[in-house]
Amino acid sequence: MVVEVVQRVLHDKARDPGKIETLIFDTLYEERRRLETERDRKKAAEEGKFYRKMQSRALRGGAEEQREVLAEIVRHFAEEVLGHFSEPMYRIATQIVPVGLNLLLNTLSPLRLISNFPNGLGKVDDQILIEGHTEEFQQLAKQGTMILVPTHCSNLDSPLIGYVLYRLGLPPFLYGAGLNLFHNKLVGFFMDHLGAYKVDRRKKAPLYKDVLKVYAGYSMELGYHNLFFPGGTRSRSGMVESRLKLGLLGMGLNAYIHNLRHDKPNPDIFVVPCTLNYQLVLEAETLIEDYLKEEGKARYIIEDDEFAQVKRILEFLQGLFSLESRIHVVFSRPLDVFGNPVDGEGRSLDHRGREIDRRKYVVQDGEVRFDPQRDQEYTLELSKSILESFRRDTVIGSVQTVAHVVWRWLREINPKMDLYRLLRSGGAQDSLTMTEVYRRLQGTIQALRGLQKREALRLDPELETSDPAAVFGKALAHLKSYHKHPVLERKGDRLFHYDRQLLLYYQNRLSFAELPS
Amino acid sequence: MKARSAKKKPAAAPSGLEALVVGGGSFGTALATLLARNRRKVRLWVRREEQAQEINRRHTNKAYFPELKLPPNLEATTDLAGSIAGVPFVLIAVPSKGFREVARQVGDYLTGDQVLVHSTKGIEPGTFKRMSEILREETCALKIGVISGPSLSEELMAGNPAGATVASHYEEVARKAQSLFAGSPFRLYAGSDVIGTEIGGAFKNIIALMSGAAHGLGFGDNTKALIVTRGLYEMTLYGCALGADPVTFTGLAGIGDLMATCSSTLSRNFRTGMRFSKGEKLEDILQSSGQVVEGVSATRSVQEQSKILGLDLPMVRAVHGAFFEGQRVQDLLHRLMERTPGRENGRSKGSF
Repeated sequence: MVVEVVQRVLHDKARDPGKIETLIFDTLYEERRRLETERDRKKAAEEGKFYRKMQSRALRGGAEEQREVLAEIVRHFAEEVLGHFSEPMYRIATQIVPVGLNLLLNTLSPLRLISNFPNGLGKVDDQILIEGHTEEFQQLAKQGTMILVPTHCSNLDSPLIGYVLYRLGLPPFLYGAGLNLFHNKLVGFFMDHLGAYKVDRRKKAPLYKDVLKVYAGYSMELGYHNLFFPGGTRSRSGMVESRLKLGLLGMGLNAYIHNLRHDKPNPDIFVVPCTLNYQLVLEAETLIEDYLKEEGKARYIIEDDEFAQVKRILEFLQGLFSLESRIHVVFSRPLDVFGNPVDGEGRSLDHRGREIDRRKYVVQDGEVRFDPQRDQEYTLELSKSILESFRRDTVIGSVQTVAHVVWRWLREINPKMDLYRLLRSGGAQDSLTMTEVYRRLQGTIQALRGLQKREALRLDPELETSDPAAVFGKALAHLKSYHKHPVLERKGDRLFHYDRQLLLYYQNRLSFAELPS
Repeated sequence: MKARSAKKKPAAAPSGLEALVVGGGSFGTALATLLARNRRKVRLWVRREEQAQEINRRHTNKAYFPELKLPPNLEATTDLAGSIAGVPFVLIAVPSKGFREVARQVGDYLTGDQVLVHSTKGIEPGTFKRMSEILREETCALKIGVISGPSLSEELMAGNPAGATVASHYEEVARKAQSLFAGSPFRLYAGSDVIGTEIGGAFKNIIALMSGAAHGLGFGDNTKALIVTRGLYEMTLYGCALGADPVTFTGLAGIGDLMATCSSTLSRNFRTGMRFSKGEKLEDILQSSGQVVEGVSATRSVQEQSKILGLDLPMVRAVHGAFFEGQRVQDLLHRLMERTPGRENGRSKGSF
């Protein structure tokens, strides 16, 4: 696989000999900058030596030597990226995942672990609800290559998806996971064996990104199902993704065209959007802090958030499970690589439900062809369809709803206040009456139910039937179960707001919804 | 889920057909004529069998061009299925009112390799959808484009030099359209701002109604220039609110089309405004003209949507007042002139 990836990258990048030298030195520059901040000194020294050698060869050598140097750098990247994936190992790893999660849930109480062990296994199944178009997903996985594209808000997303795929009885999915995920040894173990390959987000060289893309595309051609988060990184703001990274997404179309050109028997690539919905988010505090601090600017890579602290994970999971706070994993309707919906038999359909011959999209003058400009637009169509699916299949819970109500009230009574000042000071009033809370909540719940009816979003069952008081009670219980400092607190007939950053974070999940003011 | 319906199987591709123009009205006939004169193998789809026979046998389309002969190589048909199959370029030129229905019929036979372009200057009432959005909903086509610009049918038929914008997100669409018309007196300039190009085409008709009304009341060129320029400003405000690139309105689909439509008696919308300001009833004008006046329904759509978008478009409001609220054009023009003039390019005070 490494050989093929290297060849493909070179075929694309070394086509113009005049550009090879620039490509090498741009890559070396980016890598040297990265090594200046590498914490692992041993690794930094080894890599530094490799790049110095490449530099010296590139400086001295002619065109042929420079092509060799480029090939070596690409090989270096490719070997690092390619995971240690093996199917037998995957099967073993997936067998122990449920036990692993239960271990996590029960570590604080070893006695409970022993007494509840058989039920504990079942409990995970109860807490994680797998919804949506699962049957189509399972069916299509047998006849084509799947690309699973979930929303992303927590580092727990990857093990969660790994577990859900196991429960659906699906074969392995290749997955490009950030290096920082492997810092947590417990989770890192599962990652390493769930088809994860390592992606170093600190590597900024475009050549490195090309290697990642080519690897993903080639693996799709070989029929390996792929998983990646199309938003690129965890949503800092708490909002549902509104923009996707098109580079990796476009590799599905690329693989499809390759497959057609090689007359493969199963050329189809299907894309399945998926939403991961938690009441609370493990890293909420760090993420919103980062969002506010760095909005619109380059972000640093968070390496020491809540995910790196096993104790925080345990607290989070304990709260989650003790309150029976369910995690909804919703699989949206599968799509083809052009963004059209696909039925369980693999037929692409137009808006009127008429079958589409999707192969025709890549035919020009009677032949299947690549056309970079056209293919970029097709990928944009796909990304629009994914974003629509994300919105439609986002599950809103009590926490998001109550946060929205209080946040909107804060904005209304402080219309001219700058966001940051409002977050810091809390504005003109530190509390509102419970009557007002319930009144507003009633209106918002009704509007949300209307949106659910129009299939604009989904609601957690607690919002479908409960009255405002019950929804409010549940939201407060959830918030208290994990967040150390109070977000909201009821004192007598008034509701006081404290952590407005978290209010903003949780209400942001609803930012796409058209709710009346 | 099962497909609700399978696509109807069309007949085999007609050999060598290069383009199909859907719609035998004045603009569809003019574009098909230009292509036929340009020695392209083109077919014109019309709804009525008698019209197809008239074009094929007598080479005329008297309902729209009573005095003119059509090129003998221009073939008309009522067979949509047989004509769409395999043709690389499909151009829809029907009024916005029946656009969705025609698009749905085209969608029964179209495949993803075909280029689909329209030249309809309107906005769907109620949904406020642009024609390209309707094409996306009613067909499987992705390679969609729009042709819009100053292109009065009578002048095109006379062979006068003219130009328009062909906008699409797909370069292949513009390339195909340009190559089909290359060598004809109709020059196409490529663009990628589909929203701006469509909005320009639909909005200018509203301004043409107002300009025609001013003409009918006896006002001169200064007044018309004022209307056109401030109309362009409202068009830009509205278009940008929907995601258009303001530069598009400085091109053929914006100012170019305004110049032609807002001063020419060949323009249906200009003529309608003119007759209306002279006291004729709208129903009578529409009935006697026998053709669709897109500006009338566009006025209603833009007026409704501008409220939702929170835009202040005084000229659109005035046209709406005249055509739908029974107000006198003279009074509306006076009221516009009584507004306190703000900065020429300031957004906050409204536009007129």
